[in-house]
Amino acid sequence: MTSAHPGLPEFDYVKPAGLKEASQFLAQHAPEARPFSGGTDTFVRMRDGFFNPKYLVDVKGLDGTHVLKFDEKEGLTIGAAIPMNRVVTFADASHYPLLVEAAKSVASYQLRSRATIIGNICNASPAGDTIGACLAYQGILNIHGVDGYKSLPLNGFFTGPGKNLLIPGDIVLSITLPVPPKGHIGRYIKLGRNRLSDLSIVGISAMGVKDSSTKSGYKFHLAIASVAPVPFIPAKAEEILANNALNAETVNLAAQAAMDAVTPIDDVRGSAQYRKFMVRNLVHRAVTEIMQKLSA
Amino acid sequence: MANTDTKPGTMNPVGKSVQRLDVMEKVTGAAHYTDDIPFGNALLYGRVKRSTVAHGLIKRIDVSKAKALPGVKVVVTGEDFPNLIGLYLKDKTVFARDRVRFIGEAIVAVAATSEEIAEKAIDLIEVDIEPLPAVFDAEFGASKDAPLIHPDLANYECPNFIFPVPGTNISNHFKIRKGNTEEAFKKCAVIMEKKFRVPHVQHVPIEPHIAVAQVEPDGDVTVWAASQSPFSQRSSFAKALGVSESKIRVIAGYVGGGFGCKAGVTMENVAVALASKSGGRPVKVRLTREEEFFTNFVRQGLIINLKIGCDAQGNVLAMENNQWWDGGASTEYGVNITRAGGYNSSGPFDIPNITTNAMCVYTNHPIGGAYRGFGMSELHAGIIQVMDMLAEKIGMDKVEFLKKNAIQGGDFNVTGMKMHPVGLQECIDRVAKELNFGTKEKASSPSKRRGKGIGIVWKAPSMPPNAGSSAEVRLNEDGSVTVSVGGQEIGQGTFTVMAQIAAEALGVAYEMVKIEGPVDTRYSPYEWQTVASRLTWSMGNAVRRAAEDARKNILEMVAEAWGENPANLDIKNGYVVSMKSEESISLKNIVVYGIPRPGDQGWIGGPVLGRGTFMPSYVTNLDKDTGQGARAVVHYTTGCQGIDIEIDTETGKIEIIKAVSVFDVGKAINPDLVKAQIEGGFIQGMSSAIFEEMKLVNGVMKNPSFVDYRIATTADLPRENIALFVETAQDDGPWGARGIGEHPMTPTIGVLANAIYDAVGVRVLNPPLSAEKIYLAMLEAGVVS
Amino acid sequence: MGFHQISVKVNGNDEVVTVSSNMTLLRMLRESLALTGTKNGCAAGECGACTVMLNGEPVNSCMVLAVEVDGQEITTIEGLAKDGQLDIVQKTIIEKGGVQCGFCTPGMLISARALLNRNPHPTEEQVVEALVGNLCRCTGYSRIIESVQAAAERS
Repeated sequence: MTSAHPGLPEFDYVKPAGLKEASQFLAQHAPEARPFSGGTDTFVRMRDGFFNPKYLVDVKGLDGTHVLKFDEKEGLTIGAAIPMNRVVTFADASHYPLLVEAAKSVASYQLRSRATIIGNICNASPAGDTIGACLAYQGILNIHGVDGYKSLPLNGFFTGPGKNLLIPGDIVLSITLPVPPKGHIGRYIKLGRNRLSDLSIVGISAMGVKDSSTKSGYKFHLAIASVAPVPFIPAKAEEILANNALNAETVNLAAQAAMDAVTPIDDVRGSAQYRKFMVRNLVHRAVTEIMQKLSA
Repeated sequence: MANTDTKPGTMNPVGKSVQRLDVMEKVTGAAHYTDDIPFGNALLYGRVKRSTVAHGLIKRIDVSKAKALPGVKVVVTGEDFPNLIGLYLKDKTVFARDRVRFIGEAIVAVAATSEEIAEKAIDLIEVDIEPLPAVFDAEFGASKDAPLIHPDLANYECPNFIFPVPGTNISNHFKIRKGNTEEAFKKCAVIMEKKFRVPHVQHVPIEPHIAVAQVEPDGDVTVWAASQSPFSQRSSFAKALGVSESKIRVIAGYVGGGFGCKAGVTMENVAVALASKSGGRPVKVRLTREEEFFTNFVRQGLIINLKIGCDAQGNVLAMENNQWWDGGASTEYGVNITRAGGYNSSGPFDIPNITTNAMCVYTNHPIGGAYRGFGMSELHAGIIQVMDMLAEKIGMDKVEFLKKNAIQGGDFNVTGMKMHPVGLQECIDRVAKELNFGTKEKASSPSKRRGKGIGIVWKAPSMPPNAGSSAEVRLNEDGSVTVSVGGQEIGQGTFTVMAQIAAEALGVAYEMVKIEGPVDTRYSPYEWQTVASRLTWSMGNAVRRAAEDARKNILEMVAEAWGENPANLDIKNGYVVSMKSEESISLKNIVVYGIPRPGDQGWIGGPVLGRGTFMPSYVTNLDKDTGQGARAVVHYTTGCQGIDIEIDTETGKIEIIKAVSVFDVGKAINPDLVKAQIEGGFIQGMSSAIFEEMKLVNGVMKNPSFVDYRIATTADLPRENIALFVETAQDDGPWGARGIGEHPMTPTIGVLANAIYDAVGVRVLNPPLSAEKIYLAMLEAGVVS
Repeated sequence: MGFHQISVKVNGNDEVVTVSSNMTLLRMLRESLALTGTKNGCAAGECGACTVMLNGEPVNSCMVLAVEVDGQEITTIEGLAKDGQLDIVQKTIIEKGGVQCGFCTPGMLISARALLNRNPHPTEEQVVEALVGNLCRCTGYSRIIESVQAAAERS
């Protein structure tokens, strides 16, 4: 039951200057210490009583968290301290249209002045809008831990509801999205209750690109938010789009496969039944739009 | 904001869209709402221990650990406040005493030196509750099988127009028995019967409730509250404390939205209770948004069964209307909303045979308060749809059906009251014309569908027969005018309209008039409440009379000085002028100092003060068994709304292409403010029709925050939101004016449901008309697969 | 609980404030600096009544810790008018009738001003997007949107 008067509990705010000190502090004080950047997820969860850390560790002062750069070979690197609004207006982010569209759909302009993509990933909310895009773009997390630097691919990062591969002392400094396939088309369709803002009832991340190695000549990456504890990848649907001539019937089959694969729950935002149909209809819509643009 | 320079201002402002007079402080952040008032470091903060059980007996309350916490100054429980209180039926106490009746009910309150300490103290309080079987459905609650929530109902004090049924959960049973419905149904060619469920919604003022209370050295209590009804609150606090009204002072400054929830008393009693024991220290209690959602006033849910029949020519002959209002754990306004549901139960239709049973039922849900529309949104949600269904069944054009059956001046309505002239036909015609009703529009893509809906509504101010207004007008040396009223500016524009009325009635420029604020029961003249869309009409009359009284005094003074007949004098633009001699004299100075006789042989006149009051004299009681009476209400505002929508059949989402609302306001004192009320009211109606629902499951609200209680944002607007009015004068309104504040949102549920039906052939009876509901209804009907 | 002394520039004025770790920027403005123009509507980052500019960008001040703004610049509603002259967004919202109860108004105006600073000629949809995090219950929004467009035209 919701508390009548939720509020931020007492804690110590800590802003370490150095990475070594930060990782050690987090490891030493685990599980009572938590890193945060934008705070928009963290403060809400603390207010709602989900966690109650003794120490909140601000990562915005650390090396490697303020990076926002694009490299022709490496791709796009976004630091943990970079708010989503900055990503959206970064000229070279236009190489990653799916990410930009997803980021723009998050909450409100005010919240996007603070909310970060790394935060979106680390909090791993089922409704996280940008996670699907980061998966489609094969993102790699750049992490600093007690043993120094390491990298983890985003694919496989989530191991269960609210669980990921991070260990105490780990700070995600940034994410690198490799140079995406040339000519790819991305589409994020978010179904909320309001036309904009809101948390998704379902969120469809779709990316399509011409690919000579597949039977259909196309490859699609799909990810669906709000139908599972982590973004759901409808592998069967992706297979259908790879293995069959890309036409209306194939898209129908793929959309149906996506619908059949998801097992959403009934919750306060929507029923399982509605979510399943929306997965079908909106995967269909996204893939169709991409298909039309790819063949143009 | 009085402009005292000599530049000419806006003369004869009635009927003109003058700029609001309260905007400067609002756009600069200078306006002090109750949480902005500084109280110094003696201020204590209150928090409340609330029930987590929907219905149960309180077995044990242990506050010892809370009392011992450093910083805690006051702890109060139901033991300290035994008096039964309530605006109509006195059925509640400030804190739960022997039993709790809804989740969120206040059991204990704490005042401490900070909100954080108060919250810690709350967590240290132990309450043991033995659960009792609970009631979560109004129809069940009214049945013989339901456990009794108020076993003592028979002993509660109650006014003579509320009819509780002892031994049940029914706190009011209002009946209409007009004509003979049984016989009339036999003559009907078509009968339509449907049951509707309108869920609870919340007002969602952007400013949550807040009150600060302090006991003065002489024992009087001052309360600062975001309040729509300072005088009614004063009365309520007095009863809660067991003292007389003049011992309480209520100061009501700027209010950040009311919509009815800040009328009456809820959490303000907690501040008063804590202050009564804090040794003179002021105590502030402010609700969190979560508390605002589930512990305070809500719009009560309604189950309504409608059976309406018409003859082969489309004349509606009979209506059977049964209403079960989910009034919640106690009633503040619920019983009167039920009464309004009863005496308005025909909707704006001329129906010769009506049987209505409107019942307010106790449930273990949050408490039903006054919400913009006072039952009319919920009532019309059903009526507008059933009329639509009847028209279709009888094969009649929907607009023609409405016009044929709409109530008109001269008709004897549902309570037997003779209707005054209403411009309803004109409203219908204008909506139909604006929307091109009857024409199917082209959808923007193959997966979309277009549809149009239309509906008519009526509402009267729901208030006691003797709800009074009063006003004072003072003239200042510089010729400016100060008007004192007891009604509140809650955003609707009341202060601006009163200034226009005073200026017009006196003969000065609008810019010369200042409305005194904040409303303060120590200094302001009495006003029943700022509710019911009544102020323009009732308080407007009082202000007009006060201004005319002042005018009379001025003219008599000058007439004496000039040796003229006051009938030949006028006041124009701040000058008294003689139409006979063409003499003129400025109001400046004479309105305070008077006029010297020639040769300084004495003085004429003195400080000018005008007084005016207004209270309707003609509202009569209604028969207990038939609901009939000579004059149930003061008047009706009627109107029509039409909506043109496009539905996305892939998602069920609605886009409103065009909304048109036309209401008969009698006289638009400020046309732009009238339009602003209609526009804003439509959006609130749309929001509550499409997005809003308090998801109550076993008494627990599952969505008590903005995360999952969604309201309309900038992104959810119609492409066109057209607000129009017609003016069929109200005989006793100032310049013919009557109210408009509530009405614009009342048709929206029904009209949208009609539009959805027109678009996709599926009737979604119950709001919220969410995308999911529409999609799943289309799926079930085979419209989509 | 930690306590921190921070230096912050608010509406052009340098301030030094002691804040607890868990004090939000909203509370600091209202209670430590007596700047009550910024409002508390939900304390959860949803309603936008608490919107202020942080280094020129609009934020929900209830979602920022006071300690996080050490060394930074804040503009609140009290800082919008300059030398007694209303900002154009304040003028147009009055003219268009976009103010009723006024409680959402400070947050709306900050969002509007910030929008025009970064995008002097927004489309209607861009105005909608910029204000979607500011809830209003009274006006129905359209006059507020029009007022921002009018302010853009006249700037």
